[in-house]
Amino acid sequence: MNDSLESAVVSHPFFRDMKPEHQEFIARCATEATFKREDILFREGEPASKFYLIQSGRIALEAHEPGDETVLVRNLGAGDVLGWSWLFPPFIWHFQARALEPSTAIVLNGAHLLVAAERNPGFGYDLMKRVAQVLVQRLQTTRKQLLRQQIESIMEG
Amino acid sequence: MQTMDTLENLIVKHPFLSELNPHFYHFFNDCALHRRYEPGQEIFHEHGNAEHFYLIHSGKVALETFVPGRSRVTIQTLGPGEALGWSWLFPPHQWHFSASATEPTELIEFDAASLRDKVEENRDFGNELVTRVARILLERLQGTREQLIDVYRMRP
Repeated sequence: MNDSLESAVVSHPFFRDMKPEHQEFIARCATEATFKREDILFREGEPASKFYLIQSGRIALEAHEPGDETVLVRNLGAGDVLGWSWLFPPFIWHFQARALEPSTAIVLNGAHLLVAAERNPGFGYDLMKRVAQVLVQRLQTTRKQLLRQQIESIMEG
Repeated sequence: MQTMDTLENLIVKHPFLSELNPHFYHFFNDCALHRRYEPGQEIFHEHGNAEHFYLIHSGKVALETFVPGRSRVTIQTLGPGEALGWSWLFPPHQWHFSASATEPTELIEFDAASLRDKVEENRDFGNELVTRVARILLERLQGTREQLIDVYRMRP
């Protein structure tokens, strides 16, 4: 892997202040990807194996509706991470991700991360703690969003 | 006739800890207390220090927040077999929501400072615990997002 990709991985906010020996596990399974506007990164129901560290652009996480409609779950941009379904069985994407503008991301191999986490509990702890921290923030934000929507519905109704 | 379970038994049988490496149970046993709450009794309060992690043995717990002008609003209801409270795991260790029992409720309460020390000392245990936490968080996030999508669907 080239130096610029390695430094891009370690400078991504998700991996900030990670120990150098743990950074190696990440760097070993990283590739770079670019997406054009309207490119689909992954589709609901497909096998999930990748973890995306977004470097630039804008990605929409969406639920697919019958009749080809989509409902926005949230927008993600530079510095955000995308994709958790590779972490746990059934390893199937829950939502769809689509580029809203030209975007770049570092793509990590989920299976590789899981194996490294199992073989090296120090790395596993570090990785999962970061994952859990982002999940807790997103859960709290989503709960507040849901609450606002429910209250608005009641007011309108 | 009711069988009295020891605290250690309740811990071993709780689904959150199912198939846990037997070497790790003592980390939980060492800092656990059996708590009973009456309906309406508060378990923790929004913005308070998050000093405990809870496993629900029986009863029902409402996760609540305070909306100006609307008093308490329930965000989610949790029941037997579920885990409660994550804010103890990350700085600033403050509760994001409040929690109250809505029925007579039995909880296993763990001392968060003790768990935090143990996950730092023993990385095998740390890895195991945060992986279990991440899994539940993801399920709840996906569940909440589905609910949000349903609300969007119902509105024009």
